[in-house]
Amino acid sequence: MAPKLSIEQVSMEYGSKRLGRTKVLDTIDLTLADGEFLAIVGPSGSGKSTLLKLISGLERPTAGRILLDGESVTAPPPGVGFMFQRDALLPWATVAENIDVGHELAGIPREERPDRVAALIRLLGLGGFERHYPAALSGGMRQRVSLGRLLAYGPQLYLMDEPFGALDAQTKLLMGQELLRIWTTHRKSVVFVTHDIDEAVALSDRVVIMSSRPGRIKTEVAIDLPRPRDARRIRRTAEFRDIADLLWRELMGEDEEVSA
Amino acid sequence: MNFRDAAIRLVILVAILAAWQYAADRVIGTFWISSPSLIAERLWLLHRNGDLYWHAEMTVWQAFVGLVFGLVVGVALGLLLGAMPRVASIVDPFIMALYSLPRVALAPLFILWFGIGLLSKVVMVFSLVFIVFVLNTMNGLREIDRDLISLMRTMRAPWPYVIRKVQLPSVVPWVFAALRISIGLAMIGSVLGELLGANRGLGWYIEDAGGKLDTTGVFAGLVALMIVAVLANEIVKLLERWALGAGRRQGVE
Ligand SMILES: Nc1ncnc2c1ncn2[C@@H]1O[C@H](COP(=O)(O)OP(=O)(O)OP(=O)(O)O)[C@@H](O)[C@H]1O
Ligand SMILES: [Mg+2]
Repeated sequence: MAPKLSIEQVSMEYGSKRLGRTKVLDTIDLTLADGEFLAIVGPSGSGKSTLLKLISGLERPTAGRILLDGESVTAPPPGVGFMFQRDALLPWATVAENIDVGHELAGIPREERPDRVAALIRLLGLGGFERHYPAALSGGMRQRVSLGRLLAYGPQLYLMDEPFGALDAQTKLLMGQELLRIWTTHRKSVVFVTHDIDEAVALSDRVVIMSSRPGRIKTEVAIDLPRPRDARRIRRTAEFRDIADLLWRELMGEDEEVSA
Repeated sequence: MNFRDAAIRLVILVAILAAWQYAADRVIGTFWISSPSLIAERLWLLHRNGDLYWHAEMTVWQAFVGLVFGLVVGVALGLLLGAMPRVASIVDPFIMALYSLPRVALAPLFILWFGIGLLSKVVMVFSLVFIVFVLNTMNGLREIDRDLISLMRTMRAPWPYVIRKVQLPSVVPWVFAALRISIGLAMIGSVLGELLGANRGLGWYIEDAGGKLDTTGVFAGLVALMIVAVLANEIVKLLERWALGAGRRQGVE
């Protein structure tokens, strides 16, 4: 079967001729199967967010090409939902209204939207905050609203940039659990950027480790843990610990290079 | 505003009025500076015979019409220029030149072109206020978080949707700021037009009284203008509170 997404020889440079250019991504090759859950980890500045921006069509690579369902991505394509590292909520809209943006832009009929918003609010543990504005929420709550908007949009490809970075350990686990449940029922493709190796292993089918300056793919590790998984219980198995250790060693190797 | 401040203000006001009254009666003479009691008497008279409202109505109406046109045209032009950054940067020097021109100097031209009726005053007010709206609208657009626009693009939001959900809401507080500045300017434009050529309005009343060496009439007109300006400011404050939903942006309901 043709891959959902294929990234071919993609490089990205920022800057201008006059001020000098920096290479942020260097000949990235990566494919994503339909329904696959891919996690990307790597040090800060290794170009993870940049890679997601390229996939989403917000930016164009300076070299190489990106194919989504076999078609070259030149502008934001339909069916791709992007959850930014910063939550990017509308400050003048309530929690419910912010989530509803996803429904509106997905073309969900008006009469279905209130029930769907209510269901998402419940799912995300935001009950009682429907009519609050983002400024009155904690960072973790804002992230959940942003996740709600993504789920409301219901894309075929989920691009998630450190979606649970601002959550406490417990909520993070719960949200991971929910995401796994949703992914298991709908089997959409996911590209999930995180700094948390345990989280990457617990959730994904495959983990890509990136190195920095310029960002390259250092290793890919397939996660052959059985599905369906319980995001909490799986962390206690020996297989899980072995894979996580392997990934840690790969990442630390990166650190030694940096300090050398 | 607490009670103490209000009391202090009242004391200051009474002191000023008393000093004025004293100077008028004993030192300088009412011919030059009239006096609070004479002014109050005149205002009472103008209120009783309705002249006060007959004149104020004209002044306010001119300012209002000019202000509304300035707001609509200014915001529209600001949105347009905001959407076309290249055009905006080309015409920027022209806008700045217009902005720094002392537009009150145009008043004689407007009277010449548009006569002594409503139109010349409306144009005068418009010329004073509309650039404030253009500049503030463009500023509001520039302040928008770029991530919000990017996010809308990833979900392929149609342009009208982005305007409605992102651009207009972020421009509204800036338009109100422009409105607060423009109220004073609109009154200036309206009165200035009347000073130069009119047959009705508070400005005309002041001009007419001045011509007759009627200082009391001049001061009565000024006090009336002051009251109108304060009222207009209060109305804008109320509007603003209503439009911004009382602290929506602070996140409290
Ligand atoms: N718009 C931009 N213009 C210029 N340089 C940029 C731009 N966006 C990112 N960069 C640079 O590209 C590099 C990679 O940035 P990116 O945000 O993709 O890293 P990241 O892996 O997501 O890091 P983090 O884990 O901290 O989020 C950084 O060095 C950054 O300075
Ligand atoms: Mg990032």
